[in-house]
Amino acid sequence: MTLDRNKLYSILLVACLVGYIWLYFSITNNITENISVEVCIIKYLTNIPCPSCGSTRSLISLTNGDFIGALSFNPIGYLIATIMLIAPIWVIVDTINRTKTLFDFYLKIETYLKRPKIAIPLIMLVIINWIWNITKGL
Amino acid sequence: MDVQKVDMFIMSNGKFFASHQINIIRDRLIALDDSKWAMLLTTQFKDPTTTLIISILAGSLGIDRFMIGDTGLGVGKLLTCGGFGVWAIIDWFMIQTATREKNMQKIQQFL
Repeated sequence: MTLDRNKLYSILLVACLVGYIWLYFSITNNITENISVEVCIIKYLTNIPCPSCGSTRSLISLTNGDFIGALSFNPIGYLIATIMLIAPIWVIVDTINRTKTLFDFYLKIETYLKRPKIAIPLIMLVIINWIWNITKGL
Repeated sequence: MDVQKVDMFIMSNGKFFASHQINIIRDRLIALDDSKWAMLLTTQFKDPTTTLIISILAGSLGIDRFMIGDTGLGVGKLLTCGGFGVWAIIDWFMIQTATREKNMQKIQQFL
């Protein structure tokens, strides 16, 4: 199953769709504490939050316009929000124009991220964020 | 290339490839030039069993995907807590096939 353009685009679309549905249910049910904890295997098994725990709460704060609250829940929420906003539009534009600019961009980013100079700082950032998550007790 | 050499290679590296591809690899290797032999021997392949263990232990962090070189999918898995846990479980069953595909891509540059 080598990754080609259509596969990547369907994965992205499905992921964004699931994300929006999940966000919609989280907001309408007004459950910000319990459900987001149950969905994460690591949190469920070990009671230690994973690096991306709290991103649902972060996104909910973002939709309420609470930017500082979103940052204090989990900065990864900003990254997810950017991807969820841009990816569907880019995929749709690409499908209409029959081009593969997003796929080329994805491959470029992938080779870029594999460089140790870029990868090591990013890994450190994720780990620092994880430690912060644990001390916050999300 | 020497049939004996190729058979030795297949015997020691067969577990890294999908079983239906081994015959093709063998035929191509026999037709291959002898000068590529040293490069072929030094190529590192990823062990499917190792990636399976990584996937079970740290699958929700996407480390298995990073390991086989799918950085983009790895980031996706990391950001979504292993795809809400669903993708992480699916990958327990997919990751061995994916690793063998990656190994096939790696050996393809010699064939």
